[in-house]
Amino acid sequence: MLRIASKIFALSLFALVNTAQALTIFTCEPEWAALSKELAPGAKVFSATHAYQDPHYIEARPSLISKIAKADLVICSGAGLESGWLPALQKRAANRKIVNGADGMLYLSQFIETIEKHETEFFSTKHVHPKGNPHFHLDPDRLSKLAVVISQRLQIIDSGSRLIYQQALAKWQIKWQQSLQQWKQQAAKLKGQPVVVQHTSFSYLINWIGMDAIADLEPKPGVPPTMAHAQSLIEEARQKQPVAILTNWYQNDRAARWLSDKTEIKHLNLPATVDLKGDINNLQRLFDHLLTQLQEAQ
Amino acid sequence: MKRKALALATAVLCSQANVVNALEVGVILDAYHKSETTALGGRTEGFGSSHSELSLSQDVANFATAHMALVGEWNEQESDLQLEEAYLQSSALPGGLNVTAGRFLADIGYLNATHSHSDNFSERPLLYRAFLGGHYFDDGIGVSWLAPTDRYWRLSAGAFTGDEFGEEGSESSIGTWTLSTEFGDDIGNNASWQMGVSYLSNKTQTSGHHEDEEDHDDEHEEHDHEEHDHAGHAHGAEFQGEKLYLTDLVWKWAPQGNNRQQQVKLAAEYAYVDDIYGAEFDHYDGWYLSGVYQFDENWATGIRHGRVNLAEEHEHDGEHEWEASRLTETSVMLSWMPTHTQRLRLEYKHQDADHMEGTDNAITFHYQVGFGAHAAHSF
Repeated sequence: MLRIASKIFALSLFALVNTAQALTIFTCEPEWAALSKELAPGAKVFSATHAYQDPHYIEARPSLISKIAKADLVICSGAGLESGWLPALQKRAANRKIVNGADGMLYLSQFIETIEKHETEFFSTKHVHPKGNPHFHLDPDRLSKLAVVISQRLQIIDSGSRLIYQQALAKWQIKWQQSLQQWKQQAAKLKGQPVVVQHTSFSYLINWIGMDAIADLEPKPGVPPTMAHAQSLIEEARQKQPVAILTNWYQNDRAARWLSDKTEIKHLNLPATVDLKGDINNLQRLFDHLLTQLQEAQ
Repeated sequence: MKRKALALATAVLCSQANVVNALEVGVILDAYHKSETTALGGRTEGFGSSHSELSLSQDVANFATAHMALVGEWNEQESDLQLEEAYLQSSALPGGLNVTAGRFLADIGYLNATHSHSDNFSERPLLYRAFLGGHYFDDGIGVSWLAPTDRYWRLSAGAFTGDEFGEEGSESSIGTWTLSTEFGDDIGNNASWQMGVSYLSNKTQTSGHHEDEEDHDDEHEEHDHEEHDHAGHAHGAEFQGEKLYLTDLVWKWAPQGNNRQQQVKLAAEYAYVDDIYGAEFDHYDGWYLSGVYQFDENWATGIRHGRVNLAEEHEHDGEHEWEASRLTETSVMLSWMPTHTQRLRLEYKHQDADHMEGTDNAITFHYQVGFGAHAAHSF
């Protein structure tokens, strides 16, 4: 009797493993949700933030705790970007799969080189990231590497569906390579052009294109723009005639609009990431949009 | 298979090298000037520091976190250094459970378990100052459980020595125990809420009102004077009962959930103290309502109004009588955050009372700056 029971148990276990179980993926930022949807077809994907939210500053809301508690895999940029809220979610959720160090907790910053690393002194009141700029999803080359990292992690966590993940990655890579050719052509036309920024949100893209960020509306990294500081940029902006003044959707663009009025330099308010509920809902479309907008501003 | 194992090993190595086992050190410095001492604890008149903090946090392998916080207070009358937190907390036990052991903030009410440096006003609400000594931390053990429901639902329980609850130590080995639950969710894209109910059982005193009444009364008068001198430094709850019930409701709103730019935060709490110690009186209670509007990245303004209904002893024709007393407090504040780690706050407080001494109106300037690592804030 016991033997039959254990056989039935083993069989049902086998059946469970064989049906490609849908993973639940929680991402800190929407770019990783968009990428996960392509790399893990069939997975349930949720992003803690969206394109209109500053990922540095969201609240560790109750709804996010119950979402992260059910996740098999959490994918975040890391490098300190989520340090104001992610640890609070992890602590409350008590989900063994996604504690720091577990396979289910993936900080992507650990797999690439970040730029703009700052030496911080302990007694400093500046808001800088000692681990470098965490907005690296705006570099198409780093994204190619990270797609592999995510896919490998999916294959570890859900080894039963390895083939599915490998196929999805291959498919994504082909598409990405094709787009890269087009983006490189667009970038070539923008190379060397000056641009005014607000915060370091677009640094990776600007570096990848080879544009030149001549001024930052933030007086110090992380310190919101002031009118006095914007005023001090007028001369430089008039002289160097940048292509545009860049802000992103979650920023306050008051200072940028003001500077644009004063100097007649175009103000471009661009998405810093994908908008999962809108038209720009994957990374291909995001780069298409960003590069086209920059080109048209010229 | 080999490849997979290798990938796994590298992944584990990478994550361990970068995330785990870094000692995080944080400092919060607090400095203020208050024009008058007001009733029922809080900051005292003059220059001082009410809650400067040194904190150390360390992950212990991947299964627990060790945390310690040393808190300093000084003002024109006294200075004091206290170990407020020293605990080990599991990262995640099976089944959504977590255990905390050591000295930690009791998981009751909305504000109690949050650090006061993240408060929106320079002093805790009246009910916290009257019934919990500002914030209640103690030596003990706590368990919390997150229910596997779609909507956030958490239960937690704690047992403490009770030695930190009152001015004197506890008379029983488990002086206090707590039970609490909270729920919460989002409402659309812009708002979220959380609701909690908690209970604290206080066995630190054995039947308060039957102690040698005469001695007690004499002591009480002396105690009263001391209380006014030490108003800024009331460790332990002044108004205690065998049972404390708390309920809280918090609602936060930010356009698109982008609280960097703008946020409205409404909070309300109610407390009820039953089976009172040391007074012949039926019950105490208190409440507050607060609203804070952060109108851009650097500025916030807010108002808080609250009341506590207590009892005061009076001598009437040679007889000691307990009479209902009441204290109402309204605070209005404006705060400026020049950088993410600094805050300058101007606050005006107005108090009104029936049968209670020491009330006043006060203006407080409050500056706070943080250095180093800083634990993430809960909702």
